[in-house]
Amino acid sequence: MIAAVVIPAFDLRAALRRRPAVQARPAALAPLPGTEPLVGSVTGAAEAAGVRPGMRLSEALGMCPSLELVEQDPATAEQAWEEILRRLEDSGFAVEPDRPGVVYFDSRGVERLYGGLEPALKRALAAVGTAWEPRAGAAERRFAALAAAGVARAGQSLIVSEERARAFLAPLPLQLLPLERERYEELEELGVRTIGQLAGLPGGAVAERLGPVGRRAWSLAGGEEPGERKVAPRRPAAALHETLEFPEAIGNELTLRRGLVVLLDKLLARPERAGRPPRKLALWARLIGGASWRRTVTLREPTADPERLRNALGPKLAELPAPALKLRLEVSELADHTGEQLELVAAEGAALHGRLRESLRQVRAAVGSGGVSTVVEVAPWSRIPEARALLVPRDD
Amino acid sequence: MRFATSRARARPLNAPRPALVEAHAEGTPQRVNRQGVALVREEWRVVDRWWTDVPVHRRYFDLVLESGENAVVYHDADAGAWFTQRA
Repeated sequence: MIAAVVIPAFDLRAALRRRPAVQARPAALAPLPGTEPLVGSVTGAAEAAGVRPGMRLSEALGMCPSLELVEQDPATAEQAWEEILRRLEDSGFAVEPDRPGVVYFDSRGVERLYGGLEPALKRALAAVGTAWEPRAGAAERRFAALAAAGVARAGQSLIVSEERARAFLAPLPLQLLPLERERYEELEELGVRTIGQLAGLPGGAVAERLGPVGRRAWSLAGGEEPGERKVAPRRPAAALHETLEFPEAIGNELTLRRGLVVLLDKLLARPERAGRPPRKLALWARLIGGASWRRTVTLREPTADPERLRNALGPKLAELPAPALKLRLEVSELADHTGEQLELVAAEGAALHGRLRESLRQVRAAVGSGGVSTVVEVAPWSRIPEARALLVPRDD
Repeated sequence: MRFATSRARARPLNAPRPALVEAHAEGTPQRVNRQGVALVREEWRVVDRWWTDVPVHRRYFDLVLESGENAVVYHDADAGAWFTQRA
Protein backbone atom coordinates (compact mmCIF):
# COMPACT_ATOMS: atom_id res chain seq x y z
CA MET A 1 0.00 0.00 0.00
CA ILE A 2 0.99 3.61 -0.41
CA ALA A 3 1.09 5.66 2.77
CA ALA A 4 0.92 9.45 3.02
CA VAL A 5 1.90 11.55 6.01
CA VAL A 6 0.49 15.06 6.04
CA ILE A 7 1.28 18.06 8.25
CA PRO A 8 -1.45 20.65 7.66
CA ALA A 9 -0.28 24.27 7.32
CA PHE A 10 3.33 23.11 7.53
CA ASP A 11 4.84 26.42 6.37
CA LEU A 12 2.97 28.32 9.09
CA ARG A 13 3.86 25.79 11.78
CA ALA A 14 7.52 26.06 10.76
CA ALA A 15 7.40 29.86 10.88
CA LEU A 16 5.86 29.62 14.37
CA ARG A 17 8.37 27.09 15.64
CA ARG A 18 9.92 29.64 17.98
CA ARG A 19 6.57 31.13 18.99
CA PRO A 20 4.33 28.10 19.55
CA ALA A 21 1.90 30.18 21.63
CA VAL A 22 0.73 31.97 18.46
CA GLN A 23 -0.50 28.61 17.12
CA ALA A 24 -3.46 28.86 19.51
CA ARG A 25 -4.37 32.39 18.32
CA PRO A 26 -5.86 33.54 15.01
CA ALA A 27 -2.81 33.86 12.75
CA ALA A 28 -2.00 33.53 9.07
CA LEU A 29 1.09 33.53 6.89
CA ALA A 30 1.64 36.98 5.45
CA PRO A 31 2.07 37.31 1.67
CA LEU A 32 5.61 37.79 0.39
CA PRO A 33 6.50 41.40 -0.43
CA GLY A 34 5.71 42.20 -4.04
CA THR A 35 3.25 39.34 -4.46
CA GLU A 36 -0.54 39.35 -4.57
CA PRO A 37 -1.91 40.22 -1.09
CA LEU A 38 -3.34 36.79 -0.31
CA VAL A 39 -2.95 35.11 3.08
CA GLY A 40 -1.16 31.76 3.23
CA SER A 41 -1.79 28.93 5.67
CA VAL A 42 -3.92 29.75 8.71
CA THR A 43 -4.17 28.47 12.28
CA GLY A 44 -7.20 26.57 13.57
CA ALA A 45 -8.33 29.64 15.51
CA ALA A 46 -8.19 31.78 12.35
CA GLU A 47 -10.10 29.14 10.41
CA ALA A 48 -12.75 29.12 13.12
CA ALA A 49 -13.05 32.90 12.64
CA GLY A 50 -13.76 32.37 8.93
CA VAL A 51 -10.30 33.06 7.49
CA ARG A 52 -9.32 30.68 4.66
CA PRO A 53 -5.94 30.20 2.98
CA GLY A 54 -5.77 32.14 -0.29
CA MET A 55 -8.21 34.81 0.96
CA ARG A 56 -7.44 38.46 0.18
CA LEU A 57 -5.60 40.13 3.06
CA SER A 58 -8.18 42.92 3.41
CA GLU A 59 -11.01 40.40 3.46
CA ALA A 60 -9.22 38.24 6.05
CA LEU A 61 -8.56 41.23 8.32
CA GLY A 62 -12.17 42.35 7.91
CA MET A 63 -13.33 38.88 8.90
CA CYS A 64 -10.96 38.64 11.88
CA PRO A 65 -9.52 42.02 13.03
CA SER A 66 -7.30 40.32 15.64
CA LEU A 67 -5.61 38.21 12.92
CA GLU A 68 -1.83 38.08 13.43
CA LEU A 69 0.23 38.05 10.26
CA VAL A 70 3.28 35.82 10.46
CA GLU A 71 6.27 36.54 8.27
CA GLN A 72 7.21 33.66 5.98
CA ASP A 73 10.35 31.78 6.99
CA PRO A 74 11.23 29.53 4.03
CA ALA A 75 14.68 28.62 5.32
CA THR A 76 13.37 27.40 8.69
CA ALA A 77 10.60 25.51 6.91
CA GLU A 78 13.08 23.84 4.58
CA GLN A 79 15.36 22.93 7.46
CA ALA A 80 12.50 21.58 9.60
CA TRP A 81 11.19 19.56 6.66
CA GLU A 82 14.60 18.07 6.05
CA GLU A 83 14.85 17.10 9.74
CA ILE A 84 11.45 15.37 9.55
CA LEU A 85 12.42 13.47 6.39
CA ARG A 86 15.60 12.33 8.05
CA ARG A 87 13.79 11.14 11.16
CA LEU A 88 11.47 9.12 8.91
CA GLU A 89 14.44 7.70 7.02
CA ASP A 90 16.17 6.85 10.28
CA SER A 91 13.08 4.86 11.23
CA GLY A 92 13.38 2.86 8.03
CA PHE A 93 10.86 4.65 5.78
CA ALA A 94 12.07 5.21 2.21
CA VAL A 95 10.28 8.50 1.67
CA GLU A 96 9.30 10.44 -1.41
CA PRO A 97 8.62 14.05 -0.40
CA ASP A 98 5.85 15.61 -2.47
CA ARG A 99 5.96 19.14 -1.06
CA PRO A 100 6.78 20.49 2.42
CA GLY A 101 4.17 18.92 4.68
CA VAL A 102 3.31 15.95 2.43
CA VAL A 103 5.39 12.80 2.11
CA TYR A 104 4.70 9.34 0.66
CA PHE A 105 6.26 5.95 1.29
CA ASP A 106 5.58 2.40 0.25
CA SER A 107 4.37 0.50 3.30
CA ARG A 108 5.35 -2.97 2.02
CA GLY A 109 8.94 -2.74 3.14
CA VAL A 110 8.19 -1.55 6.66
CA GLU A 111 5.08 -3.59 7.50
CA ARG A 112 7.22 -6.57 8.34
CA LEU A 113 9.61 -4.40 10.33
CA TYR A 114 6.92 -2.96 12.58
CA GLY A 115 4.47 -5.90 12.60
CA GLY A 116 1.77 -4.57 10.32
CA LEU A 117 0.53 -1.50 8.50
CA GLU A 118 -1.08 0.23 11.45
CA PRO A 119 1.98 -0.02 13.75
CA ALA A 120 4.14 1.18 10.84
CA LEU A 121 1.96 4.27 10.36
CA LYS A 122 2.04 4.86 14.11
CA ARG A 123 5.81 4.68 14.02
CA ALA A 124 5.92 7.14 11.10
CA LEU A 125 3.74 9.61 13.02
CA ALA A 126 5.99 9.26 16.06
CA ALA A 127 9.05 9.87 13.88
CA VAL A 128 7.56 13.11 12.58
CA GLY A 129 6.86 14.27 16.16
CA THR A 130 3.60 15.07 17.94
CA ALA A 131 4.35 18.81 17.95
CA TRP A 132 3.70 18.90 14.19
CA GLU A 133 0.29 17.21 14.61
CA PRO A 134 0.84 14.88 11.64
CA ARG A 135 -1.83 12.61 10.15
CA ALA A 136 -1.32 9.45 8.13
CA GLY A 137 -3.35 7.69 5.50
CA ALA A 138 -2.83 4.51 3.52
CA ALA A 139 -4.50 3.17 0.41
CA GLU A 140 -3.65 1.37 -2.81
CA ARG A 141 -3.46 4.69 -4.65
CA ARG A 142 -1.71 7.92 -3.87
CA PHE A 143 -4.71 10.21 -3.99
CA ALA A 144 -6.82 8.00 -1.74
CA ALA A 145 -3.90 7.80 0.73
CA LEU A 146 -3.55 11.60 0.65
CA ALA A 147 -7.28 12.07 1.12
CA ALA A 148 -7.28 9.58 4.01
CA ALA A 149 -4.43 11.51 5.68
CA GLY A 150 -6.31 14.75 4.97
CA VAL A 151 -9.37 13.66 6.91
CA ALA A 152 -7.59 11.77 9.73
CA ARG A 153 -7.30 13.56 13.05
CA ALA A 154 -4.00 14.83 14.43
CA GLY A 155 -1.76 11.93 15.44
CA GLN A 156 -4.16 9.37 13.91
CA SER A 157 -4.02 7.21 10.81
CA LEU A 158 -6.71 6.02 8.43
CA ILE A 159 -6.43 2.99 6.18
CA VAL A 160 -8.69 2.74 3.12
CA SER A 161 -8.96 -0.57 1.28
CA GLU A 162 -9.21 -0.64 -2.52
CA GLU A 163 -12.85 -1.80 -2.39
CA ARG A 164 -13.86 1.04 -0.08
CA ALA A 165 -11.81 3.75 -1.84
CA ARG A 166 -14.59 5.05 -4.12
CA ALA A 167 -17.17 5.11 -1.33
CA PHE A 168 -14.66 6.74 1.00
CA LEU A 169 -13.81 9.51 -1.46
CA ALA A 170 -17.41 10.25 -2.50
CA PRO A 171 -18.52 12.49 0.42
CA LEU A 172 -15.21 14.35 0.74
CA PRO A 173 -14.95 18.01 -0.31
CA LEU A 174 -13.61 18.98 -3.72
CA GLN A 175 -10.77 20.95 -2.13
CA LEU A 176 -8.82 17.71 -1.69
CA LEU A 177 -8.43 17.47 -5.47
CA PRO A 178 -5.41 19.11 -7.13
CA LEU A 179 -7.35 21.93 -8.81
CA GLU A 180 -6.93 25.68 -8.97
CA ARG A 181 -9.09 27.83 -6.74
CA GLU A 182 -11.07 29.18 -9.73
CA ARG A 183 -11.92 25.64 -10.80
CA TYR A 184 -13.37 24.77 -7.37
CA GLU A 185 -15.45 27.92 -7.52
CA GLU A 186 -16.60 27.07 -11.03
CA LEU A 187 -17.62 23.59 -9.94
CA GLU A 188 -19.32 24.90 -6.81
CA GLU A 189 -21.34 27.31 -8.93
CA LEU A 190 -22.48 24.30 -10.92
CA GLY A 191 -23.60 22.65 -7.68
CA VAL A 192 -20.71 20.17 -7.52
CA ARG A 193 -19.41 20.18 -3.97
CA THR A 194 -18.13 16.68 -3.27
CA ILE A 195 -15.70 14.33 -4.94
CA GLY A 196 -18.54 11.83 -5.46
CA GLN A 197 -20.63 14.40 -7.32
CA LEU A 198 -17.71 15.13 -9.65
CA ALA A 199 -17.10 11.40 -10.22
CA GLY A 200 -20.77 11.05 -11.15
CA LEU A 201 -20.44 13.48 -14.09
CA PRO A 202 -19.54 12.22 -17.58
CA GLY A 203 -15.75 12.33 -18.05
CA GLY A 204 -15.98 13.89 -21.51
CA ALA A 205 -18.13 16.78 -20.27
CA VAL A 206 -15.72 17.50 -17.40
CA ALA A 207 -12.76 17.47 -19.81
CA GLU A 208 -14.57 19.83 -22.17
CA ARG A 209 -15.42 22.30 -19.41
CA LEU A 210 -12.27 22.13 -17.25
CA GLY A 211 -9.59 20.85 -19.63
CA PRO A 212 -7.00 18.15 -18.96
CA VAL A 213 -6.54 19.20 -15.31
CA GLY A 214 -10.26 18.72 -14.73
CA ARG A 215 -10.18 15.36 -16.52
CA ARG A 216 -7.39 14.22 -14.23
CA ALA A 217 -9.31 15.41 -11.15
CA TRP A 218 -12.35 13.51 -12.44
CA SER A 219 -10.26 10.32 -12.75
CA LEU A 220 -8.91 10.78 -9.23
CA ALA A 221 -12.42 11.35 -7.93
CA GLY A 222 -13.42 8.03 -9.48
CA GLY A 223 -10.67 6.21 -7.62
CA GLU A 224 -8.41 5.93 -10.67
CA GLU A 225 -5.00 7.42 -10.94
CA PRO A 226 -3.95 8.31 -14.47
CA GLY A 227 -0.23 7.88 -15.01
CA GLU A 228 0.16 6.50 -11.52
CA ARG A 229 3.68 5.62 -10.59
CA LYS A 230 5.30 3.81 -7.75
CA VAL A 231 6.76 5.65 -4.78
CA ALA A 232 10.26 6.76 -5.76
CA PRO A 233 12.26 7.22 -2.56
CA ARG A 234 14.59 10.18 -2.56
CA ARG A 235 18.32 9.92 -2.26
CA PRO A 236 19.13 11.48 1.13
CA ALA A 237 21.03 14.70 0.64
CA ALA A 238 24.49 15.11 2.05
CA ALA A 239 24.23 17.75 4.74
CA LEU A 240 27.58 19.37 4.77
CA HIS A 241 27.49 22.90 6.01
CA GLU A 242 29.41 25.61 7.80
CA THR A 243 27.93 28.52 9.70
CA LEU A 244 29.35 31.88 10.65
CA GLU A 245 27.64 33.82 13.42
CA PHE A 246 28.30 37.54 13.51
CA PRO A 247 28.31 39.38 16.83
CA GLU A 248 26.13 42.02 15.19
CA ALA A 249 24.09 42.30 12.00
CA ILE A 250 26.21 42.75 8.87
CA GLY A 251 24.73 44.43 5.81
CA ASN A 252 27.91 45.38 3.99
CA GLU A 253 28.37 43.21 0.91
CA LEU A 254 32.16 43.36 1.08
CA THR A 255 32.12 42.03 4.64
CA LEU A 256 29.66 39.30 3.73
CA ARG A 257 31.89 38.29 0.84
CA ARG A 258 34.78 37.99 3.28
CA GLY A 259 32.62 35.79 5.47
CA LEU A 260 31.80 33.68 2.42
CA VAL A 261 35.52 33.18 1.71
CA VAL A 262 36.02 31.85 5.25
CA LEU A 263 33.02 29.54 4.94
CA LEU A 264 34.19 28.23 1.57
CA ASP A 265 37.68 27.51 2.87
CA LYS A 266 36.29 25.63 5.85
CA LEU A 267 33.76 23.69 3.80
CA LEU A 268 36.25 22.65 1.16
CA ALA A 269 38.62 21.45 3.86
CA ARG A 270 36.04 19.07 5.37
CA PRO A 271 37.25 15.48 5.16
CA GLU A 272 33.70 14.15 4.56
CA ARG A 273 33.86 15.62 1.08
CA ALA A 274 36.46 12.96 0.23
CA GLY A 275 37.77 15.00 -2.66
CA ARG A 276 34.40 15.22 -4.43
CA PRO A 277 33.58 18.64 -5.83
CA PRO A 278 30.27 20.34 -4.91
CA ARG A 279 27.59 20.32 -7.60
CA LYS A 280 24.87 22.25 -5.76
CA LEU A 281 25.33 24.75 -2.95
CA ALA A 282 22.99 26.89 -0.90
CA LEU A 283 23.61 30.17 0.87
CA TRP A 284 21.45 30.78 3.90
CA ALA A 285 21.23 33.79 6.18
CA ARG A 286 19.36 34.62 9.36
CA LEU A 287 18.37 38.25 8.98
CA ILE A 288 18.00 40.95 11.57
CA GLY A 289 14.43 40.81 12.85
CA GLY A 290 14.31 37.01 12.69
CA ALA A 291 13.47 36.41 9.02
CA SER A 292 15.58 34.10 6.88
CA TRP A 293 16.94 34.13 3.34
CA ARG A 294 18.16 31.35 1.11
CA ARG A 295 19.55 31.03 -2.41
CA THR A 296 20.57 27.84 -4.18
CA VAL A 297 23.28 27.67 -6.82
CA THR A 298 23.71 24.68 -9.12
CA LEU A 299 27.06 24.66 -10.86
CA ARG A 300 27.22 23.91 -14.55
CA GLU A 301 30.34 21.91 -13.84
CA PRO A 302 31.09 20.60 -10.32
CA THR A 303 34.21 22.23 -8.96
CA ALA A 304 36.20 22.54 -5.76
CA ASP A 305 38.08 25.58 -7.01
CA PRO A 306 37.52 28.25 -4.32
CA GLU A 307 37.77 31.09 -6.80
CA ARG A 308 35.14 29.67 -9.14
CA LEU A 309 32.86 28.93 -6.21
CA ARG A 310 33.36 32.48 -4.92
CA ASN A 311 32.42 33.84 -8.33
CA ALA A 312 29.30 31.70 -8.43
CA LEU A 313 28.10 32.47 -4.89
CA GLY A 314 29.38 36.00 -4.27
CA PRO A 315 26.82 37.87 -6.43
CA LYS A 316 23.97 36.22 -4.50
CA LEU A 317 24.99 38.17 -1.40
CA ALA A 318 23.94 41.38 -3.12
CA GLU A 319 20.36 40.05 -3.05
CA LEU A 320 20.23 39.95 0.76
CA PRO A 321 17.21 42.05 1.71
CA ALA A 322 18.45 42.99 5.22
CA PRO A 323 21.60 42.77 7.38
CA ALA A 324 22.51 39.21 8.38
CA LEU A 325 23.23 37.84 11.84
CA LYS A 326 24.27 34.41 10.58
CA LEU A 327 25.58 33.19 7.27
CA ARG A 328 25.58 29.52 6.34
CA LEU A 329 26.97 27.74 3.34
CA GLU A 330 25.58 24.29 2.58
CA VAL A 331 26.64 21.69 0.07
CA SER A 332 23.34 20.25 -1.11
CA GLU A 333 24.89 17.81 -3.54
CA LEU A 334 28.36 16.50 -4.20
CA ALA A 335 29.49 15.11 -7.52
CA ASP A 336 30.12 11.38 -7.54
CA HIS A 337 33.52 11.63 -9.16
CA THR A 338 36.73 12.96 -7.74
CA GLY A 339 38.54 13.05 -11.04
CA GLU A 340 39.70 16.45 -12.10
CA GLN A 341 42.58 17.14 -14.40
CA LEU A 342 45.69 17.42 -12.27
CA GLU A 343 48.35 19.99 -12.91
CA LEU A 344 51.66 18.79 -14.28
CA VAL A 345 53.56 21.45 -12.37
CA ALA A 346 52.43 22.37 -8.86
CA ALA A 347 51.15 25.93 -8.60
CA GLU A 348 53.47 28.55 -7.24
CA GLY A 349 53.31 28.65 -3.46
CA ALA A 350 51.84 25.16 -3.15
CA ALA A 351 54.79 23.89 -1.11
CA LEU A 352 54.67 26.93 1.16
CA HIS A 353 50.94 26.52 1.56
CA GLY A 354 51.44 22.88 2.52
CA ARG A 355 54.05 23.79 5.13
CA LEU A 356 51.77 26.46 6.56
CA ARG A 357 48.90 23.99 6.85
CA GLU A 358 51.14 21.51 8.62
CA SER A 359 52.32 24.19 11.08
CA LEU A 360 48.74 25.17 11.82
CA ARG A 361 47.85 21.52 12.34
CA GLN A 362 50.64 21.28 14.91
CA VAL A 363 49.45 24.42 16.71
CA ARG A 364 45.94 23.02 16.88
CA ALA A 365 47.24 19.72 18.18
CA ALA A 366 49.15 21.60 20.89
CA VAL A 367 46.48 24.04 22.07
CA GLY A 368 43.29 22.30 21.02
CA SER A 369 40.29 23.22 18.91
CA GLY A 370 39.81 26.95 18.44
CA GLY A 371 43.52 27.61 18.84
CA VAL A 372 43.87 28.93 15.30
CA SER A 373 41.71 31.76 14.05
CA THR A 374 41.50 33.96 10.97
CA VAL A 375 41.08 37.71 11.26
CA VAL A 376 38.21 38.84 9.05
CA GLU A 377 37.85 42.58 8.62
CA VAL A 378 34.18 43.42 8.81
CA ALA A 379 33.97 47.17 9.25
CA PRO A 380 37.48 48.70 9.22
CA TRP A 381 35.93 52.18 9.09
CA SER A 382 33.98 51.72 12.34
CA ARG A 383 34.56 54.16 15.19
CA ILE A 384 34.04 51.28 17.62
CA PRO A 385 37.35 49.37 17.73
CA GLU A 386 35.88 45.92 18.49
CA ALA A 387 33.47 46.22 15.52
CA ARG A 388 36.28 46.48 12.98
CA ALA A 389 37.37 42.85 12.76
CA LEU A 390 36.30 39.37 13.82
CA LEU A 391 38.27 36.32 14.90
CA VAL A 392 36.89 33.27 13.14
CA PRO A 393 38.10 29.89 14.46
CA ARG A 394 39.77 27.65 11.87
CA ASP A 395 39.57 23.95 12.63
CA ASP A 396 40.28 22.71 9.09
CA MET B 1 24.93 9.64 3.64
CA ARG B 2 25.08 11.71 6.82
CA PHE B 3 27.80 14.14 7.63
CA ALA B 4 28.63 15.94 10.79
CA THR B 5 28.18 19.68 10.73
CA SER B 6 30.22 22.40 12.32
CA ARG B 7 29.67 25.94 13.42
CA ALA B 8 32.24 28.65 13.97
CA ARG B 9 31.48 31.23 16.61
CA ALA B 10 33.17 34.38 15.47
CA ARG B 11 34.20 36.78 18.19
CA PRO B 12 35.24 40.40 18.03
CA LEU B 13 38.91 41.18 17.75
CA ASN B 14 40.16 43.78 20.22
CA ALA B 15 37.25 43.42 22.62
CA PRO B 16 37.43 45.84 25.59
CA ARG B 17 38.71 44.57 28.93
CA PRO B 18 37.74 46.02 32.32
CA ALA B 19 40.32 48.44 33.75
CA LEU B 20 40.93 49.78 37.26
CA VAL B 21 40.87 53.54 36.85
CA GLU B 22 40.83 56.33 39.41
CA ALA B 23 39.61 59.57 37.84
CA HIS B 24 39.77 63.29 38.64
CA ALA B 25 36.55 65.12 39.38
CA GLU B 26 36.30 66.32 35.75
CA GLY B 27 36.56 62.72 34.52
CA THR B 28 40.16 62.45 33.31
CA PRO B 29 42.10 59.38 34.53
CA GLN B 30 44.49 59.87 37.45
CA ARG B 31 45.68 56.28 37.91
CA VAL B 32 45.27 53.27 35.59
CA ASN B 33 45.74 49.80 37.01
CA ARG B 34 47.52 51.33 40.04
CA GLN B 35 49.96 53.33 37.88
CA GLY B 36 49.93 57.10 37.82
CA VAL B 37 49.07 58.93 34.59
CA ALA B 38 51.95 61.07 33.32
CA LEU B 39 50.24 62.59 30.30
CA VAL B 40 46.88 62.66 28.54
CA ARG B 41 47.88 62.65 24.87
CA GLU B 42 44.45 62.75 23.36
CA GLU B 43 40.83 62.60 24.33
CA TRP B 44 37.78 61.84 22.16
CA ARG B 45 34.21 60.69 22.39
CA VAL B 46 32.42 57.92 20.51
CA VAL B 47 28.64 58.17 20.42
CA ASP B 48 27.13 55.58 18.10
CA ARG B 49 24.31 53.10 17.68
CA TRP B 50 21.97 55.34 19.62
CA TRP B 51 19.15 53.95 17.50
CA THR B 52 19.71 50.36 18.82
CA ASP B 53 19.14 48.57 22.13
CA VAL B 54 22.89 48.71 22.80
CA PRO B 55 23.91 52.33 22.30
CA VAL B 56 27.61 53.24 22.53
CA HIS B 57 28.55 56.27 24.59
CA ARG B 58 32.26 56.29 25.41
CA ARG B 59 34.89 58.84 26.40
CA TYR B 60 38.33 57.66 25.29
CA PHE B 61 41.72 58.74 26.68
CA ASP B 62 45.09 58.02 25.07
CA LEU B 63 47.52 58.07 27.98
CA VAL B 64 51.19 57.79 28.84
CA LEU B 65 51.63 56.18 32.26
CA GLU B 66 54.40 57.03 34.71
CA SER B 67 56.15 53.80 33.75
CA GLY B 68 56.40 55.10 30.17
CA GLU B 69 53.80 52.64 28.93
CA ASN B 70 51.11 53.78 26.49
CA ALA B 71 47.50 52.96 27.36
CA VAL B 72 44.06 53.69 25.94
CA VAL B 73 41.15 53.61 28.34
CA TYR B 74 37.56 54.69 28.03
CA HIS B 75 34.68 55.40 30.35
CA ASP B 76 31.40 53.82 29.30
CA ALA B 77 28.65 56.24 30.26
CA ASP B 78 25.92 53.58 30.10
CA ALA B 79 27.77 50.91 32.09
CA GLY B 80 29.38 53.51 34.38
CA ALA B 81 32.65 51.57 34.16
CA TRP B 82 36.18 51.89 32.77
CA PHE B 83 37.70 49.68 30.08
CA THR B 84 41.01 49.39 28.32
CA GLN B 85 41.29 48.77 24.58
CA ARG B 86 43.67 49.25 21.70
CA ALA B 87 42.11 52.09 19.72
